[in-house]
Amino acid sequence: MSGRRSRSRQSSGTSRISEEQINDLIIKLQQLLPELRDNRRSDKVSAARVLQETCNYIRNLHREVDDLSERLSELLANTDTAQAALIRSLLTQ
Amino acid sequence: MDSMSTSSTSDLSRRKRKKKSPPSPPPSLQKWRSEKQQQIYSTKLVNALRELRITQPSPNPRNGRAVREVADRALAVAARGKTLWSRAILSKAVKLKFRKHKRQRITNPALTSTVTATGSIRSKNKRGAATVMRIKAKGLPAVQRKVKVLSRLVPGCRKQTLPVVLEETTDYIAAMEMQIRAMTALLSAVTSPTEHEEGQTHVLGVW
Repeated sequence: MSGRRSRSRQSSGTSRISEEQINDLIIKLQQLLPELRDNRRSDKVSAARVLQETCNYIRNLHREVDDLSERLSELLANTDTAQAALIRSLLTQ
Repeated sequence: MDSMSTSSTSDLSRRKRKKKSPPSPPPSLQKWRSEKQQQIYSTKLVNALRELRITQPSPNPRNGRAVREVADRALAVAARGKTLWSRAILSKAVKLKFRKHKRQRITNPALTSTVTATGSIRSKNKRGAATVMRIKAKGLPAVQRKVKVLSRLVPGCRKQTLPVVLEETTDYIAAMEMQIRAMTALLSAVTSPTEHEEGQTHVLGVW
């Protein structure tokens, strides 16, 4: 559907990406964001808002990974227990 | 796994015939949410962590970063080279000199796999110009600014066009969510047995 539209109504100038496609991508992105996906309101969330929330969410994810890495590294500092624990976790998972 | 691949093939054939994009969640997201993928990643992660040498004394900020890099690299490997962000992470790790050559070669398949019906995006694969600016519809400076910020957050997307950045972002977010789930599970698996051991050594006075 979006393909047909952009073929017949080619967007002007140099950009050949239709707004439809961009909107689809943004909607897809919105579904991923925990902040916005539950907001089933009739009015669409603006693209700028989705992008802003995306940036915030990615920063949060980065921070979480960093935090988890810190904690893991502290655990791994003690090599004897770490080796055994890691091997054990491989077996249990 | 079989059902997933069949559905994606039938999606492709549907696309070729009727030129429609499938409304279902993209297969890449389904992949990152599967148990199997998390298992695969966890195994890779644990193996990589076992080879890591933690420098004393702890807590050492470099150790945390080292673990983070290991986790990211394992995640990029799990992506199997199909996305820009994963390739960017891997090439950063290896620091290949012909990194630019790789990027130019590979961007086409990346776009073909993500592109929907038109096929016009293939011709749009001219890097260099900040094509993010040229999208007339989303010419709002607010959107442009945010996409720029976003492109800096997602590895390998700094000079990419708007649709590419959005596409990469969706995959990257799904992958990171899986990474967090796996690392959390690993942490809890490693924590509780350790406490047991510590208790025992205390009692025995070995430590």
